Amino acid sequence: MVGSFRQSRRDVLKLGAASVAGGMLGSSAGRAAPKSLTMMHESSFVPPYDAYFKNQLASAYEKATGIKVNYEVVSVGSLITRVSAAAENGSGPDMTAIGFNWAFLFDEKFVDVSDIAAEIGKESGGWYESAQEAVVVNGKWKAIPFGNIGQLMNWRTDWFKEAGYQKFPDTWDELLEAGIKLKKAGHPFGFELGHGFGDNHGWLYPLLWSYGAREVEPDGKTIVIDSDETARAVDYCRRLYKETMLEDCLGWTDVNNNKAFLSEQISCTNNAESILWAAKKDFPEMAKVIDQSENPKGPKGRFHMLNPLCHSIFAHTEDKKAAKDFLRWLMSPKQAGAWYDIAVSYYQPFLHAYDDAPFWKVEPRNIPYRDALATAHLPGWPAPLSRAQSETIAKFVVIDMFAKACAGKSTKEVIADAQAQLKQIYRPV
Amino acid sequence: MTVETLAPALVRRRPAFSLQRWLERDSVFSWLMVAPPVAFLFALVGYPFFYGIWLSLLNRPVGKPGVFVGFDNFIADWHDAVFWQVVINTFVYTIAATLLKMVGGLGLALVMNQDFRFKNLTRALLLLPFIVPTVLSTIAWQWILDPAFSVINWSLREMGLAKAGPNWLGDPYLAMFSLIVVNTWRGLPFYAITLLAGLQTISPELYEAATIDGAGAWGRFRYVTLPLLKPVIFIVTMFSVIFTFADFQLIYVMTRGGPANATHVFATYAFDIAFGGGQFGQGASIALTMVPPLALIILAMAIYMRPAKT
Repeated sequence: MVGSFRQSRRDVLKLGAASVAGGMLGSSAGRAAPKSLTMMHESSFVPPYDAYFKNQLASAYEKATGIKVNYEVVSVGSLITRVSAAAENGSGPDMTAIGFNWAFLFDEKFVDVSDIAAEIGKESGGWYESAQEAVVVNGKWKAIPFGNIGQLMNWRTDWFKEAGYQKFPDTWDELLEAGIKLKKAGHPFGFELGHGFGDNHGWLYPLLWSYGAREVEPDGKTIVIDSDETARAVDYCRRLYKETMLEDCLGWTDVNNNKAFLSEQISCTNNAESILWAAKKDFPEMAKVIDQSENPKGPKGRFHMLNPLCHSIFAHTEDKKAAKDFLRWLMSPKQAGAWYDIAVSYYQPFLHAYDDAPFWKVEPRNIPYRDALATAHLPGWPAPLSRAQSETIAKFVVIDMFAKACAGKSTKEVIADAQAQLKQIYRPV
Repeated sequence: MTVETLAPALVRRRPAFSLQRWLERDSVFSWLMVAPPVAFLFALVGYPFFYGIWLSLLNRPVGKPGVFVGFDNFIADWHDAVFWQVVINTFVYTIAATLLKMVGGLGLALVMNQDFRFKNLTRALLLLPFIVPTVLSTIAWQWILDPAFSVINWSLREMGLAKAGPNWLGDPYLAMFSLIVVNTWRGLPFYAITLLAGLQTISPELYEAATIDGAGAWGRFRYVTLPLLKPVIFIVTMFSVIFTFADFQLIYVMTRGGPANATHVFATYAFDIAFGGGQFGQGASIALTMVPPLALIILAMAIYMRPAKT
């Protein structure tokens, strides 16, 4: 008994040593073998888009260079935690898709790709200015913008026509007017006012900006949310909610407005291309009477949400050159063009060479997404990228300011709340 | 045998025996057996916990080294209006859901303890809400409470009881109410089955004796069942309080803390700040503020519910 215990203990030690050695051998052998790269992506709303990378792009690159490119798909909403983990541990995928202001958040953990960004821009007609807003940190490109997943007004042409509207209202005031008529006709609006990821920001920030209001000045320090402009935007939002919308928008997350629209509960919402996509697939009759339009104008102009999908290279990547070469190859017209094509226009290119690309003609109702790029900004604009900006989003400061007003609080109160929160968030550290 | 002849033998035998003997000693062997779970606990619970405390004292943005800031994060929490709303939400959620689960679970256990047809099948089915993964059952609930497709609202409309039906997840109070109901639905089986196990350990003789002494149904419950069940109730309530207080999945799937923070609790808020906002230090400080109230609740319960020494 005792003997065997001793025996097995020694065996365990031997086994352990052998496996450690084996592991070391294995990894060094792996490095010497044909190289491989891993790209992490959030599962796309357009399944063929993910499949195209895996089946076409990756194999084409392997054939051309001998480098295998793995495409690691993570579930929707979990990308930020995965990127955080990879950046913090300094291990994991070599490249990743990113969004929002992550280029800033993970600044030191991403490789400077200014050189290839310049080459790609030169090759493909130049970058949209809005692309740079999200990826240029201290003068350096920390990601290569791929496409914007824009947000537009989705509306039912048949019901709007019945209410006397041949085209989508041009101003917020006209939209309110139309909404009142449509709600009376039994076709209310439904805009997300809850804690979702996108469909709430997609219209509330543009609304705020179009009234000339903002959270913070471009200096990134001065809080200016407490203004008459904000008050007007809040008052407008309350009216729009009370007089045109379904009551339960306050509790919606990103799926609710799609469901409500596709089940014919609402006549208008703010959303990405997913509603039209789903309708064309499952409700072809309804798809014929759906249209997409730019956000309405306010007293200070028309604005849209910037929701960029970009590609970054992790600083921990062993062979940075190989990763850069791959991204450079990926973004050349032959590859990128085909990848954009597959998703039709779900990802709107930030490169002017694609302004009149054939995929815009596949579904002309998507063209406003391209036009919206010129007036698209990140939440927190016009302040520069910052951690405070992330915290403001995470705390839903602006969204809740509007939502609380819709739920019945006074304009003064909700703005004071937002002002206090922003002061706390933007406090000098 | 003299001392001289004995001594070399002892000296010779000693090295050969030392390791085995040492290992076979109770004090050593027991520790050896306990060591793996202790190491496991330390690695997966202890280390993250102490790392969490350390993190909460840092200004530690994601992807950057941390700077020690003392209690700044906690001071910031103190001045954060949403934080206080989160505190209230968490307590309301925990207290309401735990009470409902306790009363409902006890009732269910008492019913299940009776003899009836299909008793075993019913008991097995009872566990269903507990077996289904939380995220899946929560999505089902989301459909039940969905404004457009709510089966409840549809029934109300069809029966002519309401025009539109309640706005389950859109109204701040109703949203909290709905979450409490779903949490109760999910946690009830755990209570019921555990209490049922407790009920079955109570000797029928005690009931017989109580009946002979003239106790009615209520008397038997009040003076026999309840006192004997107390330790079990204590254990399940403690577990339930901990799980409900730190609940994340259910709320994150249903409302993500909305509308306007009306259903944000510690776990969801800490997650949003740490990962959404990239502020690990701040997030850790919010998560850690859960610990003292939780410890206090458990301590109070331990004192209140401890078995009376007779």
